[in-house]
Amino acid sequence: MKHRILSVAAALGLASTIMLQPAYADIGVGYVYVGAKTDGGYNQAQDAGRLEMQKAIPGAKTNALENIPENAQVSQAMQRMISTGDKVIFATSYGYLPYALDLAKQNPKVVFMHCGGAKLAPNLGTYFADMFEAMYLSGIAAGKAATNGKIGFVAAHPIPQILQDINAIELGAQSVNPKATVTVVYTGSWNDPSKDVAAVNTLADQGVQVIGVHVDSPIAVIGAAQKRGIKVIGYHFDDMKFDPQGWLTGGYWDWGPIMTQVVKEVEAGTWKSQPVFGNLKSGAAKLAPFGPSVDAATRTQIMDKKKAIEDGKLNVWSGPIYSQDGKLLVPAGSTLPRPQVDSMDFFVKGVIGSLK
Amino acid sequence: MTFDLLIGLLSVALLTATPVLMAMLGETLTQRAGIINLGVEGQMLVGAAAGFAATHSSGNPWLGLLVGAAAGLMLSTVHALLCLQLGVNQIASGLALMFLGNGLSSYYGTPLVGQQIDGFTNMAQGSLAQLPLIGHFLAQLTPTVYLGFVLVVLCGIFLYRTQWGLIWRAAGESADALHMLGRHPGLIRLVAILIGGAFSGLAGAALSVDYTRTWVEQMTAGRGLLAVGLVIVARWNPWLVLPVALIFGLSEALSLRLQSTGADISPYLLGTLPYVVPLIVLLLSYRASQRGTAMPQELAGVFRGMA
Repeated sequence: MKHRILSVAAALGLASTIMLQPAYADIGVGYVYVGAKTDGGYNQAQDAGRLEMQKAIPGAKTNALENIPENAQVSQAMQRMISTGDKVIFATSYGYLPYALDLAKQNPKVVFMHCGGAKLAPNLGTYFADMFEAMYLSGIAAGKAATNGKIGFVAAHPIPQILQDINAIELGAQSVNPKATVTVVYTGSWNDPSKDVAAVNTLADQGVQVIGVHVDSPIAVIGAAQKRGIKVIGYHFDDMKFDPQGWLTGGYWDWGPIMTQVVKEVEAGTWKSQPVFGNLKSGAAKLAPFGPSVDAATRTQIMDKKKAIEDGKLNVWSGPIYSQDGKLLVPAGSTLPRPQVDSMDFFVKGVIGSLK
Repeated sequence: MTFDLLIGLLSVALLTATPVLMAMLGETLTQRAGIINLGVEGQMLVGAAAGFAATHSSGNPWLGLLVGAAAGLMLSTVHALLCLQLGVNQIASGLALMFLGNGLSSYYGTPLVGQQIDGFTNMAQGSLAQLPLIGHFLAQLTPTVYLGFVLVVLCGIFLYRTQWGLIWRAAGESADALHMLGRHPGLIRLVAILIGGAFSGLAGAALSVDYTRTWVEQMTAGRGLLAVGLVIVARWNPWLVLPVALIFGLSEALSLRLQSTGADISPYLLGTLPYVVPLIVLLLSYRASQRGTAMPQELAGVFRGMA
């Protein structure tokens, strides 16, 4: 008798858990990428998020278009997705914003998600994450690896996000190597592997021993650094396999949880237009695995700092911070206000490069 | 220190300039026979994609260069068909070729993105690097840089020192005269288009297989179009292709070097150097020359809408 009651209870319990699990109907989710989804960089990170979301929500039918330039073509691509019934569209490239805003107005029942944290509309949300925290930690590895203190950085454009990365690397490196400098070379393009290689060679000729990068695909930079025997800090994606010996660590995006959350909310009708910002703690901007050349002491040091950042005990932008020309920007004991982080327009002391 | 600086600049310049140099040589040959091909960019892209694919599957970068050249040649047959057979305007056909090559390479190249190749053996580990003074410099250069030098010499000798070169140039100066001599300017132009295509394809493969060891859509980033423009700066002379390509490469190397020394100049302004400097050279050479632009006479017809 006792057994029977138990089994009935168990059956009821099982039934209730089945019923409580919301039954997701098929939902169409469109993804538009500016490059190839295997670029080992920005676009592959977005696509990894798509795959993760799809795994979490089996009813999601995703539809991904690659190599869509930031012009009227992206409108056509998104329109095609809407006409095939997609209810959520991830416009993953920054320059898609005006086109996504336009289409959002015309299609109030479709939810648009733009990557970059720029603007909101009633049915357009935005998502982004603080990569500078992972760059600060990578800077520690760089500062240790660069015995002469010389770190280089190949950047696409002088925009706040990239200035954050460069400054964070310099601050991280300084924390272990007071003479550390970061020399910046801009390619003026998100996608110009030839110029990426020329930039690496130029920096290598200057004696740089570690190189960081922020262009769409870091692969060309990693390959060129390997040829010159320089260590690298990765960006966007875990690219260690391209040069395990030269790989120190880096930062990569994990968009899966944010994308899953958005699609679930749209399904459940609870989605609200608001910015979704992740960081090291939320896991949207992660520290990449260490390469074999990073010694145990450095790893421990970095992991301790990582924990401090996650626990809110360490702020990357806490003073004293001096600007490139030696002016005190953030006094000791205070931190740079968030709006000034988001609109960063300065280099910290120790960075060699132009802001124009 | 100054010596190191110059050596560094020169090696970055040569590496950067090599694909452009190869594309310029091909377009020089094509234009000397009286045909303009604006599709160099597209030919470079299919060459880069096909060359990368061949290297990736075979592991042999030399095969990659060969396949790249073949791919460029194949795309150029479209230009030959449109211009020589169907009498389509060369400017329109060339532009169409550029977009066709871009689309084809992006489409077929998608599975190649994010793939890794080893390329040529790093010469920094070879015996070349042991040479005093210039050993380090020579070791920075890659096989395609040396191939580029060889091609300049071969093209220069061919155009100016062989009978076929004379006939080739005659096709570009006066097709009618050549015809009266019993030659076939049409045939020479066909070969000129195909050779130009092969050179562009090789240029693209040099970029993907050797220099960057990566494939990504639109990786030529306008260098094919630039090469067409630089042919004019080099006055349609293969010997001048080397210094002109080097001027481009040096300007790019210098713009990056100035950035890395912390010069407070906008990187965008510095980024125009590789385009502004050749323009100035063009202007100076045009003013200094008694013989005008040195343009092959038959090309004038293209702009009068006769071709």
